[in-house]
Amino acid sequence: MITLYSILITVSVYLFVRFLAKNYSSPVTSPVFLSTIIIITLLVVSKISFDEYMPAKTIMTYLLGPATVALAVPIYKNRDMFVKYFSAAFIGLSSGIVTTITSAILLAKLLKLSNVFVLALTVKSVTVPVATEIGRIIDGNLSLIAALVIITGMIGAMFGAKLLSLFKIHHPFARGLAIGTIAHGIGTAEAVKEGEVQGAVAGAAMGIAAVLTSIIIPFIIEFI
Amino acid sequence: MMKSVWKFSIQMFFLFVIYQVGNWTARFFHLQIPGNVIGIVLLFVLLWLGVIKLEQIELASGWLLKHLGFFFIPISVGLMTLGEIFVSKGLPFLIVLIVSAFIGLFFAGKVTQTVIMKNEKEKVNYHDHAI
Repeated sequence: MITLYSILITVSVYLFVRFLAKNYSSPVTSPVFLSTIIIITLLVVSKISFDEYMPAKTIMTYLLGPATVALAVPIYKNRDMFVKYFSAAFIGLSSGIVTTITSAILLAKLLKLSNVFVLALTVKSVTVPVATEIGRIIDGNLSLIAALVIITGMIGAMFGAKLLSLFKIHHPFARGLAIGTIAHGIGTAEAVKEGEVQGAVAGAAMGIAAVLTSIIIPFIIEFI
Repeated sequence: MMKSVWKFSIQMFFLFVIYQVGNWTARFFHLQIPGNVIGIVLLFVLLWLGVIKLEQIELASGWLLKHLGFFFIPISVGLMTLGEIFVSKGLPFLIVLIVSAFIGLFFAGKVTQTVIMKNEKEKVNYHDHAI
């Protein structure tokens, strides 16, 4: 009963926010962010704990796997572009990953945050299923990692497009790549809405960033 | 109507099978790469080799990608379990995450765009010389 209710509110809140975002587009109406806030509020008001929400979560995320695999379609459609911009993509992706991880670690040290937090920060830009896998390997706090990854994705989805425009980054390939590299799947969902090229590149960048990060991390951890 | 529901279900099932094959491959070969990433590569190769045609999966994949954001919402609801940490340490957390995300976005985007522009300019120059 609670499961059915949980699914019902999740789906209706999502549809409502989607409708809202179509008419009033702003960082606040970013679907994942606003839906999450409304759903958490509703759950708290109805006195449903996250443990009770869990079965509903399992059912609803069942399609996340096939949905991720489906990213191959826009990548395939835009394959000529990937060949054409191969060197740019590789250099851009690496500089994005390295700068975001190092700046996060330095800042966390500056603010005197604990080592558990610093360790979790290294995977904050990696897509959720991969981040938890790496987390297991580096012996990190898994729920903290999931939280950092999700919030990073939301930040990218909410402000990414605006920030890129502000710095005159207009090339659709560069925009998609930046969002996918930093804000993984949640950002990619937003990039898909901006355009097919952006969505395809973001999806590919998310995958490649995940692979690159898992290779780089052992070296970075030496310095923490 | 019935026909497209049927078509949609078959396509969805097919994507699901590819995802599972990706998972098995990762586990079987003890790869550090996650199953869903392998699934993307696998589907890409199948499309590329012409084993499957775009039309044969476009209905389901289009629908899934349109609602990609939805699947992250139930996961994000998990943030509610971290309520206390956020009240006590929320601000430094957010500062680190926002600043580092912005730095990464800027560098990834700017570097990519600059290299693309540079390459295209060189090509143009090369053509000028050729003429």
